[in-house]
Amino acid sequence: MALGVGEALQSVICLAPGYVAHPGLPVGWVELVLAGMVLTMIRVLWRPESVTAGAGRFHTLVDLPGIGTWLRRLARHHHVLLALRMMTVAVFLLVIYAGLFGTPLPERNFATVVTWSLWWTGVILSVAFVGSAWCAICPWDALATWLVRRRLWRRAPEHVSLNLRVPRWLRTVWPAWWMFVGLTWLELGLGITTSPHLTAILALVILVLTLVSQLLFERKAFCRHFCSVGRTIGLYQQLSPLALRPIDPEACARCTTLECYHGTADIEPCPTHLVMGRLRENTFCTSCGACSQSCPQANVAWSSRPLGSEAMLDARPRWDLAWFVLALVSLTSFHGLTMLPVWEDWARQVAQVIGDSGQLLWTFTLGMAASMAVPMALFVLVAWVTWQMDGRKLPFRRLFSVLAIPVLPLAFSYHLAHNLNHLVREGRGASAVLLNPLGKGALPMSEAEMLQRQLHPLLDQDLLFALQAGLLVFGFWLAVRILQSRMSQIAGAGPARSLMLPMLVFVAGMSLFNLWLLMQPMVMRM
Amino acid sequence: MRRTIRAMLLLSLLPALASAHHVLGRPSYSLNEDSNTPPSMQVETQIGKYFVTYMVFPAFPQPGKPGRINLYVKRLRDDHPFLGKVRFTIRDDSWLASDDAREELGVQEPVDNVFRQGFVISEPGDYLVIAEFEAEGEPYRIDFPLRIGNPSSMGPLGITLGVIIVLLIAVNLLQRRRLARLKTSEYHAREEA
Ligand code: SF4
Ligand code: SF4
Repeated sequence: MALGVGEALQSVICLAPGYVAHPGLPVGWVELVLAGMVLTMIRVLWRPESVTAGAGRFHTLVDLPGIGTWLRRLARHHHVLLALRMMTVAVFLLVIYAGLFGTPLPERNFATVVTWSLWWTGVILSVAFVGSAWCAICPWDALATWLVRRRLWRRAPEHVSLNLRVPRWLRTVWPAWWMFVGLTWLELGLGITTSPHLTAILALVILVLTLVSQLLFERKAFCRHFCSVGRTIGLYQQLSPLALRPIDPEACARCTTLECYHGTADIEPCPTHLVMGRLRENTFCTSCGACSQSCPQANVAWSSRPLGSEAMLDARPRWDLAWFVLALVSLTSFHGLTMLPVWEDWARQVAQVIGDSGQLLWTFTLGMAASMAVPMALFVLVAWVTWQMDGRKLPFRRLFSVLAIPVLPLAFSYHLAHNLNHLVREGRGASAVLLNPLGKGALPMSEAEMLQRQLHPLLDQDLLFALQAGLLVFGFWLAVRILQSRMSQIAGAGPARSLMLPMLVFVAGMSLFNLWLLMQPMVMRM
Repeated sequence: MRRTIRAMLLLSLLPALASAHHVLGRPSYSLNEDSNTPPSMQVETQIGKYFVTYMVFPAFPQPGKPGRINLYVKRLRDDHPFLGKVRFTIRDDSWLASDDAREELGVQEPVDNVFRQGFVISEPGDYLVIAEFEAEGEPYRIDFPLRIGNPSSMGPLGITLGVIIVLLIAVNLLQRRRLARLKTSEYHAREEA
């Protein structure tokens, strides 16, 4: 058995000055990712093909043998959903209790482990499999709804709300955009991920915001316009293979009562003002199930669809959503950047230059602003060049919004790859925390325990690398497919090929940057 | 076997490493099993030309029990340790407390480059330890949190519940007023008709 010191360290842990960090993607996997990207590029440039064929077709899952009946029942009855909501509310309350009254050790406290290591990483993973299902069982919305409606599920004839219409200037996702930026700042800059107390306070603040929105505005304005978690999930689910859809679109076309939109005596109307029969995109669907419960023809069910088909064909380009996508792609990469061992060195140097002290919040804010501004400025440039190449046929804002759609898979794939790392490497201590949620009598994590965690991640490290590499190639491939589809819709298959070039450079550049981030050793949060 | 060898290799190297990921200026906790020192609370921060590491032993000091602060100050440019004097003071960490109510803990000189300050605090609560020194003609002041006793956090919970109740009552009242106004205007409209 020949095992050199260097090899042993490489395979378990990577050392950077002053930190324990996990090794990044090894060179072999990096080469495979690069090969995958090159092959995708060659295929697209040499063989432009219409990607509209076959995409956009739905297959209702209720027709599946065995599971279909069960899914139909699940969609029609509220009991399962209510039980799940109660469970998430119970977990949420425990998060608050543990955060406020438990140990301040983040790795021993239920609040920090469940919120940051399990929920926040898991919720993004869940979109890949079940779309926006999280929103259906979201404890913030459930608690606020119960308080306002004063009942657990049935539609309340009267409830405590001014039922105002959301002002026109707020009817965008810009509030969610700002909340997303703010949460990232709190998470990475102020470091609330390492503070159970602040984690609990943040959960309470979001609860109050949800409640205020329900008290002021009609339906669920918070979900549609303000919630950054919901909007992140909503955008990512454009790529998801599952969505709620009519079983028979013809039945919806004939329908005049629109219970899905108006609700019934018992069931709430669609919280985000959607009409199932006209639904082309699920960006604003919270999977709440109200439409499937209220439809008199039992015509709504979960359906499968080709991966990314919504982004390729159906998603309506919108200026505000385009900027949300850009925030997603830049801030997910920024997330990775702040967990590199070199980040703190850079921060210290910048802090010295600008005379920042203490927690270096100015330095962090500057770094975050730059990390957002650079990719955004590059994107604006690329959109402008494409606009010029296309002879300014479309309004600039429209082309900009169309071009932002292919960026979505880049954010999603890197987000998944990064979160997998957290889940697999930090999730190890979750069982102990579940047994002792307040961390009573627990000691800080010792170096030996930390080492144990490094040695025994939840998944084999090579499998983790394979998944990360696969995700990056998949994200790049899907981005290019979406770009191809969108450009051929704008310009036709032939001209689309040259028109795609600036965006291809952007997509490739972002993918390479994300690949570089994954290659670096990563410092864990806890 | 392979794993054991890796573990041993790494264990031999680990004392040289810092522990988990931390955020500058935020408390983090560590435990060194190989030494006799109890778990500690640690804050790292940067001020001017200096990098400061502040450690509290034990990590969760209790009222009436002795605790110790270790402070290590090094110059960022060349990692040279600061060797002057550091003055430690303490005050309540509440919004209302003022700096005038500070009490002096002591003035310390470094031993092995570390400034050590003992303390015994009888009342549980949140405190602020202030370390001050003068280097290269410039005054430096750094504030560090110190929690004595187990945390009790009824504050955020109470405020949230209070806000929720006030909001529900306020919107309820507004709704009733709106309804009453609507009824009155309907009544007048009927009267006029
Ligand atoms: S989902 Fe049901 S209620 Fe809604 S349009 Fe279709 S048939 Fe009508
Ligand atoms: S009611 Fe609206 S938000 Fe709820 S699942 Fe149906 S379409 Fe989605």
